[in-house]
Amino acid sequence: MSKPGKRLLIVDDDADMRLSLKLALEMAGYSVEPAADGREALAIQRQRPADVLITDIFMPESDGFEVIDAVRRGFPQTRIVVISGGAKLAKREYLLDAALMDVDAILPKPFDMEALLRTLESIQRR
Amino acid sequence: MKLRWHLVLLTLATLLPLAIFAVVEGALLVVSERETFRRGAEARTLAVLTAIDTELNRSITTARVLVASPGLGEAELHYFRRTAALVLAAQPDWINITVARPDGQQIMNLRVPEGDYLPNIGAVDESFERLLRTGEPVISDLYLAPVLKQLNFVVRTPLVQDGKVRYVLSAAVNSAAIGRLIRAQGLPPGWVGVVLDRNDHIVARNVNPEESLGQLASQSLRDALARSPSGWFHGSTIEGSVVYTPYRRSETTGWVFAMGIPAYVVEEVGKRAQWTLALGLLAALGLALALAMIVGRRISGPIGSLASATKAMGQGESITLPVEIRVSEVDTLAGALREAAQAIHERQSLIEREREALRAADRAKDEFLAMLSHELRTPLAALTTAAHVLRVAGNDGDKAMQARGVIERQTKHMARLVEDLLDVSRVTMGKANLQREAFDLGEVVENLVAGWRAARRFDRHRVTHSTATVWIDADRTRLEQIVSNLLDNALKFTPPGRKIDIRVRQENGQAILRVTDEGDGLAAAAIGRIFDLFAQGEHGLDRSKGGMGIGLALVKWLTEMHGGTVSVASEGPGRGAAFTVRLPAVVHPHRQADPGATEKTLGPRRVLIIEDSDDTRQMLHAALALSGHEVREARNGATGLAVAAEVAPDIALIDIGLPDIDGYEVARRLRADPTNGHIALIALSGYGQPADLQRAYDAGFDSHLTKPVAVEVLHSAIAAVL
Repeated sequence: MSKPGKRLLIVDDDADMRLSLKLALEMAGYSVEPAADGREALAIQRQRPADVLITDIFMPESDGFEVIDAVRRGFPQTRIVVISGGAKLAKREYLLDAALMDVDAILPKPFDMEALLRTLESIQRR
Repeated sequence: MKLRWHLVLLTLATLLPLAIFAVVEGALLVVSERETFRRGAEARTLAVLTAIDTELNRSITTARVLVASPGLGEAELHYFRRTAALVLAAQPDWINITVARPDGQQIMNLRVPEGDYLPNIGAVDESFERLLRTGEPVISDLYLAPVLKQLNFVVRTPLVQDGKVRYVLSAAVNSAAIGRLIRAQGLPPGWVGVVLDRNDHIVARNVNPEESLGQLASQSLRDALARSPSGWFHGSTIEGSVVYTPYRRSETTGWVFAMGIPAYVVEEVGKRAQWTLALGLLAALGLALALAMIVGRRISGPIGSLASATKAMGQGESITLPVEIRVSEVDTLAGALREAAQAIHERQSLIEREREALRAADRAKDEFLAMLSHELRTPLAALTTAAHVLRVAGNDGDKAMQARGVIERQTKHMARLVEDLLDVSRVTMGKANLQREAFDLGEVVENLVAGWRAARRFDRHRVTHSTATVWIDADRTRLEQIVSNLLDNALKFTPPGRKIDIRVRQENGQAILRVTDEGDGLAAAAIGRIFDLFAQGEHGLDRSKGGMGIGLALVKWLTEMHGGTVSVASEGPGRGAAFTVRLPAVVHPHRQADPGATEKTLGPRRVLIIEDSDDTRQMLHAALALSGHEVREARNGATGLAVAAEVAPDIALIDIGLPDIDGYEVARRLRADPTNGHIALIALSGYGQPADLQRAYDAGFDSHLTKPVAVEVLHSAIAAVL
């Protein structure tokens, strides 16, 4: 079912968010690895590098910025999509943040699933 | 106008009447002094004139005595001549003694030897005729003695026999005698004393006697004498000096004494007093003005600095006040100003503190809003994603079931969130009312724990509890909220697998509820703030556990509304925490006499759901079926009543807003049939105000649930009504 170039790593501390995203994205034909925090995500990434990292920003243990930073440096081929419910992110105030300067896409929560799918399509094509 | 000029005006106004008085008084004084001086001079004039009269009268008396002596007759004239010669020798100023017959023929002349020719003097002398006319002694005018070339006057005395003048005795007197008399008066230098005869010729004068004797008196004196026999006038001497002159003519002799007082002497009189007065006035004026200026400066100086201090105060600068103020009112003003400055300073720092508190509250509000946004976005994201899954996958299958699970959990979570927000609003606005009743706190906790356990919320932790029966007078719903929030907090901050313990006991008349966990614990600094609204845990950017900082604040407010306290203890981060709620315990009002009550368990029951909303009905159905209940449905009131009559349910969940008849009416109709008395009626409504609850109870409902209904609340309500 999973196709090459469609391995996704989802990092979100909310179990329902991980679950619903996994369900939706698997239905769209992606292979999804969920992780509850940054540490777990990096452990998975090191074993099986994902094509796209979809990560929340505010999480316990190791936050989204650390994950983004580590993935950017260690896995330049991995695309990054940020999803977050932070008010500042929603107002796009973090767009100038160095850590978010070179992510591939930012989607403020709540986002339309179709928008996420379109985003994934477009960044894969690049 | 400046203060000092006010004082100067005051001084001048005070001194002006005094000055006028002084000027008038000075003028009066001069007049009075001159009057006194004039009277003195006139008295002196009279005295000198009297002395002259006396001198003349002495000569007359001597002449009379001589006339009265025997021997004055032609026959014995030789003898009389000897007597007269003796008298002449005894009178140093007498020059000669003569005797004449009334026809003027001299019959004796001591300066002419006896027997020599003697002249007839009758025609030459006015005084002789006067004597003959009056028969009284007379004094002649001054004349130059023809023989002796000496100025003299003559005293003539008659010898009267048988009423007729028989002889006239004449004594020539040297006018120098009068001159001596005048000099003896010791007139001040510059003063002129002058004696005039009846014809106003100068008989004696202390100034320039050689040139003036025998001359006519000055024109001004003669004019004055023509006007009045005595008086005072301003004129000039024969030398032309300007003088004031008192004068008097003797009534007896017709002679005159006058004094020439230099004008400057008279004019000086009173001048000194005037000067003294004027100088005194000037000194007083100067002193008063100087004092006015000094006092003015003493008052206006400090007032000026107070004014600038006040201005500085207005501009918010620190003020400096004059150290020494000698005017007590101004000093009082300065004191008041100092106090005002102090008060302003204190108020400003108070305002500053309040502003800081407002800023802090504002920051907390902003953080809260950011957090609220995050808290709402997270479940919304999960919901939209799950909705997408349902849309794509359809309603069946494993994926759809999982997605529905997501939706149920997240809606419940959001409903809870909204409820908390509304609670905060109600409690902070003071709108939360307590519906107090006596109940067993232990039982409430027991039921709640059972409900949560049934809802599998304790699955990831080791939750233990032990409760004693403790009666309190409180709002049951609020107490459940307190316990729920404490449990929520413990679950949120305690890692899976760790222990959470809930205890209820009674101690010293207090109901003690304690929730102990083995969770993250608290730093000492956080303990003071943990109950503040919007307080967040120490998690930095990680807000996954922070929540909105509402739960514990609500616990504190609700506990305090019940007259209780809440406290937290923690040995530090990572070492767990213990929250303790203390409420006043009450005596059990009446023992529950129904032993069967405790045996009621939440076994399978027959439940009727009357609800027009498909979602709600299905959710309730699923939740109740999951707990093993037998569930029947109805979409409106009429159907509901029919189903109830058919199946005789134990419990009916009735929506208030039904399409045909409302829930209240359904309840009333069910209650109207006695065979339905056993059915427990639970109202479902979007409104949870006390009035709504009351209306439900009035209609016959046993309980009331506000939508959306959480599963554990549903279980609790069912357990409560059975």
